[in-house]
Amino acid sequence: MSLQHPEVIRLDLPARYAYLHILSDCIADMLRQIDGVEDHEMLTYNMQLAAHEACTNIVGHAYDGAQNGDERIIISLSLFPQPRRLEIELHDTGKPFNPEVVPAPSLEQAQIHGYGLFLMRNLMDTVTYTSQTGDNYWCLVKNL
Amino acid sequence: MEMKTRVAGDVNILEISGRFDTNTVPPVAAWLEQVTSAPKSRVLVNLAETTFVDSTALATLVQGLKRCQQVQGDLCVCSLRRPVYMIFELTRLDKAFNIFVDEEHALQSLKS
Repeated sequence: MSLQHPEVIRLDLPARYAYLHILSDCIADMLRQIDGVEDHEMLTYNMQLAAHEACTNIVGHAYDGAQNGDERIIISLSLFPQPRRLEIELHDTGKPFNPEVVPAPSLEQAQIHGYGLFLMRNLMDTVTYTSQTGDNYWCLVKNL
Repeated sequence: MEMKTRVAGDVNILEISGRFDTNTVPPVAAWLEQVTSAPKSRVLVNLAETTFVDSTALATLVQGLKRCQQVQGDLCVCSLRRPVYMIFELTRLDKAFNIFVDEEHALQSLKS
């Protein structure tokens, strides 16, 4: 199907690992709407993984030690027709994070930590993160 | 995620079906810790039915590999689906692990 208008899915998920498969399913369903992609299987997997890594970062770091149990991740998936791209936006209210100080993993030796942000940056065309009081914002963009 | 374990000769085999990620890692990590405590432990992780692998799952496999190497053993992986294999390539973990196309080839190598 060729897309005429932006297609948007909004999710408001409890910040728990157990719910992240829902995001993967939505990305797969959304990307099924478009045709003319060279390698659909790879594209879908890569977008699912990048979004998943952003979420695990939020659950594991931004909300690390959170006591309330009502922490949320607000997600917006947007598929734009012109120029055709997938935009994944995520908001959380946890601790802010500075991606600039996260060292890239050494690829010469297998690592036990540090692949999450590396994968996000390598699978997406742009990854941005901003933090304002009470609102942390990730934006992941892939041109299709 | 579903995990099945069995033994072939002296090789401990783990099959993981479905999503292998932060949410489902704990039982795999516990199993790997247990089987890699024996000297010369040989482990094969079959990912034929694994549909999704995230960075925590990769880290868990790396930890298992390092534990095996500490006891002069080995940990191999086999039957990776194409997107999963690409993630091993991107992180260059395809150089750290012995990766086999199927279980038969992996067992041949581990038993030799």
